[in-house]
This record gives sequence, structure tokens and C-alpha cells, in this order.
Amino acid sequence: MDFTRRTFLAGAGATAGLLAAPGAFAGPDVPGWQVGWTNAPASGYAPAPMRLISGALPDEFEGSLYRNGPAWFRYGDDYTGHWFDGDGMVQRIAFGNGKAVHSGQFVQTHKHKAEQEAQKFLATGFGTAGDPSYSIMAVDDVNAANTAILSANGDLFALWEAGSAMQIDPATLETIGPKTWSDDLKGMPFLAHPKVEPNGRIWNIASSGQILGIYDIAPGGKVDRFEIVDIGKTAYLHDWAMSERHLILLVQPWIQTRSLPPFVNSLEWRPEEGLQILIIDKDDLSSRRWVEAPAFSFYHTGTACEDADGTLHIDAVLYDEPILGEGGATGLMAGHFNPAVDQHEGYLSRISVSPDGKTRIDRTSVDGEFPAVHPGYMGQNCRLTAVVGGHAPGRPIATTVTVFDWHTGTADNFNFGPDRMVEEHVMVPKPGRTGEDDAWLVGTVLNIRTQSSEVHIFDAKHISSGPLASFSADYSWPLGFHGAFVSS
Amino acid sequence: MIRILSLLATATVISFAGFAETAPSTSSLTVNLSGLSPQTGAVMIGVYAGEDDYENGGGITGATVEITADTATVTIEGLEPGAYGLKMYHDSNGNGQMDTNPFGMPTEPYAFSNNAKGRFGPAEWDSAAFQVTAGDNSHDIAFD
Repeated sequence: MDFTRRTFLAGAGATAGLLAAPGAFAGPDVPGWQVGWTNAPASGYAPAPMRLISGALPDEFEGSLYRNGPAWFRYGDDYTGHWFDGDGMVQRIAFGNGKAVHSGQFVQTHKHKAEQEAQKFLATGFGTAGDPSYSIMAVDDVNAANTAILSANGDLFALWEAGSAMQIDPATLETIGPKTWSDDLKGMPFLAHPKVEPNGRIWNIASSGQILGIYDIAPGGKVDRFEIVDIGKTAYLHDWAMSERHLILLVQPWIQTRSLPPFVNSLEWRPEEGLQILIIDKDDLSSRRWVEAPAFSFYHTGTACEDADGTLHIDAVLYDEPILGEGGATGLMAGHFNPAVDQHEGYLSRISVSPDGKTRIDRTSVDGEFPAVHPGYMGQNCRLTAVVGGHAPGRPIATTVTVFDWHTGTADNFNFGPDRMVEEHVMVPKPGRTGEDDAWLVGTVLNIRTQSSEVHIFDAKHISSGPLASFSADYSWPLGFHGAFVSS
Repeated sequence: MIRILSLLATATVISFAGFAETAPSTSSLTVNLSGLSPQTGAVMIGVYAGEDDYENGGGITGATVEITADTATVTIEGLEPGAYGLKMYHDSNGNGQMDTNPFGMPTEPYAFSNNAKGRFGPAEWDSAAFQVTAGDNSHDIAFD
């Protein structure tokens, strides 16, 4: 179904947003979508109710959607060198009693505090060279804490690629500080994409180029194991995959070739080296095997699962070559969109590895990003994957939410139309229900026309029917990357 | 970011070689430490005479300061007047070494003279160097 035909909703949102936020539109030289890369208030967003603009919140839908993303892009006329380098801000939308309340706070990292005090960019980053006078004595001196959210044992963490998890108060969003999982692992990186088994066991990667560490964290937070793995090359690794019995590292041939900031400029695409896949036995981390597939680039996986005969399936969004690399996502902050570097189509794909080591890649026709699965099925099954994809002319970010069923090969989708930039949607299990499709899908959308942020809740079984409930803020907050839903 | 880790890992670990005995002199250096946490173990201080010793050498002398409060003071005697640099770490668990995580990053606090900070490694000589003059000298180091 196409959201643009749902005139009642578009009209309600547009009118209310216009009335509530006069003057919020960008100037004549700045496109409306640029609002997604506009600085958030340094003091954050105090809790504010969002307006119900259509439908009704399901009675059992109670909890909070936490999202993380860059939210500081500019000091004066100086823009951060890359979207990925903006300081992290945690957004919270608390649902209950039919209502939605938004709040947001910057993660008070060392980097954020130092740059706010100096009122200029200091730290080096993914695409930012940094100020040579800025002291860097530990990885957390440059930690932007801007990528993802982990909820574990009632604690909340803002995650980045190469620094500590930053612990956040789940109620106030105030920063508690860097998480030390155990004394001997202080200051170790904690990748933005931990994999959480349905029983609560957390697996994650500490990334440091060719040498990685694997965290095995028991439910409750005790580090059971930490093991070093050499992947043979300094490949860019943003995400990875986990099945019931295995950890799977996709070593893409996007290789760091030198040690000069910014990081992205040091990366070189070497497709002749192929996509090398390291499969590690969870029970015996020293039991490892390599298989190889044709070269693809990727940022994100969905999940992985295993057939009875041992065949392994890994779901990921695959690109023919790296995206948002050198030259990509550098102009968005100033309102410059270049489809040649800012927009590539990645397709939801399945990499299958048979017991004899042969690999096969099946690419679906579903273009999208931010694959999400039912958290109760992570690593257990590979039936449903949610993605957001599609393009609107002349601007970045997705238009469409899709749930793809790997068993039937069908895609159930909903197009929000050209006026809405669609962010990651995550699956939320329905209380007391156990089916993989017994879930809601919840995610945020930035309405370019009304310059307001929205949140939409779907039934995962009926995406094309449109949202069950939609709420709009009277303002917008910057676009983010990843989130997690924490049920009440 | 991967790059930062690899550089830090190899560059920031502080170790001290055995110190040569020094001749008596008229200069002393009192080092005042603050911001110590936890208040256990000892701070191990290395004293380096000149740039070459600071960048490449093992130091001319050193001191070990037991830590029982958030501040501590130690006086190092017998220094010739001249340019010096200090490197130190807080051996908070008292195991006699600067502990590191599996990537070689220090897990115990460390500091340099002038409270100088490093960029991808130890503070450089130009920012850590200070003058010891004839007589009594003092130097303040904040660990927090």
C-alpha cells in the first residue's frame, strides 16, 4: 500500500506540524530533507507527548523504543567530515496507555564534552581528520557513541564501532559512563552489533583491524570467555552474524591500507580478494573454518541459521561495492545530496554455506537496509526479515518498510511516499505469543513536509495494511541508525 | 578507528628499565600527585634526562610511591639541573606492572610530566619537558 494515498494521515500530520512548528522549514537554498542532519539542542529534548495522527496503539504495546544516531553536525560553518562522526544522541519514545512520549539526550562522551566546550570539532573519526592538538590517549577519547543500542539485564548502552559501550540511564537518558565488562577488558572496543541469544547470552566483537576479540557474556553480565581471533587482514567490519551453534565473520575485501586519519580514506576495495567467511564454533572458539564467496560489500546482517544437515544460512544486505565510503555521506549535513556516492542499492541476500564448504549467494529483489528480525528467533530461524528501502528522487533515505518471508519468497511492504524518510524498523514480540510473525514492527520516520518526526507501529503480519498507530512530534530530531525496543 | 587502536596499543605501554645510580647533586624534585583512584597500590615514576632518554632510553632514576589516599608526594634527590621528563603509571593492584587489556591498551591510569597528553601514544618530549633548577623543585601531576 502507498502511504501517499492515505490522505487522512498525511493531511493530519501536515496540518498539525505546520501549525506547531512555523518557521521550521529550511531556507530556500537548503532542501527540506536536510533537517535530518541538523544539530539537536545541546540540552536535549525534554519529555514531550507525541500526537496520535492515525489509528490506535495496541493495548499490549507497552515499553520504550530507544534509538541512537549522530545528532551534532556543525560548529559555525564547520561541518563534521562524515555523517558517521556526529555525536550520539539517544532518543526514547515511551509507549503506554495509548500514548507516546518522546525524549532525547546526547551521550556525554569525552569527545562530546570536549567539543562542546571548545565549540569546534576536535576528535578524529570515520571521515573526520580531527584537530592535531586534540589528545587521544584511549579509544574512548574519540568514541562518538552514535550507532546502536543494547539493552541487557535492565541496563541500557549506547554503542559505537570502536570504543566502550556507554551506559545510559534508561529512564532519564543521562550518561552513566563507559562500561567495563571485566577489569582486564577495560577500554576494549565493543562493536555496535552485539548478538543476543533468546536466553540473554550476549556475543560481540572487539574490533581492532586484523586482530579481533570475541566476547561471550553470560545472561547476567559475567564475561565467560574472551578470545582473540586473527582474521588475516584489516578489513572493515561493522556487523557479523550468529547462528545457534556458530559465529560468522564476513571478511569483506574493503581493506585498511594506511594509518592516516580519517579512517575512511585509508580503505581500499579489493574485489579480487573475494568475500572470506570465518565460521567459529560457539562451544569451542578455537574450532574455526574459512570458506570463500564472490566479493560483496556489506554493512549489516539480519540473522543466521542452520539446517539439519549443517548447511549455514547468513542473511545480509549486500552491495556490489562499498557505499558511504570515501566521498559518501560527507555533504548531507550541508544539504548536498549526490546519488553517485550517497545512494546505492543493496539487496537483501542469503549466503548459504554447505557442509562441504561450498557457498551460494541468493540475492532477492528487495532493496533495503537495516535488516531486523524477531529477537526471540535471533540465530534460531531465518524466516522473516524486516528492512527499509526504496528511494525518492533527489533526496536520501528510504521510503518503504518491507517484511520479507524467506519461506514463501514474498515481500509485504508499505510505501510512505516521497515526503517521508523512513528509518530502521525493529520487531517487537507480542506478549504471550511465540510465533515468528507474532510481532509488531515499530520505527521512526521523518516527515519532510511537516518537518516533524513520527513513529509508526505495524502488525508484522500485515505490513501493507499500513500502520496500526502513528504518532507525530511537533518537531523533528536528527535521523539515526539503530534502535532497540525494551518492553515494560 | 581501527588505526587508533593499533597505534595506541604499541605506543602507550610504559615500562622502566633498571636505573643507573646517579651522582649526588644539589637539585631535588618533589612530585605532588592528585586525583588517585583507587587508593591502593603504588605509583611508579620514571625520570628521564633529556629528549633522547625520554624518547628512547630507560630513565636515569625512578621512584615508587605507595598510595593510601587520593594524593601522594615523593621527593627525588640527586638530580643535575637540566631538562627532564616524567612518565608514570598507577599500579593500582600492586602487581608491579602496567596492566593492559588484550589489545595492549593500558588498563591502569598513567600520566606524564606537565600533565601532557599524547595523541595515538605517549606525550611527546616537547610537551612533557620541564626544567629542574638548582635547589628544590616541585611538580604537580593530576591523574583525574
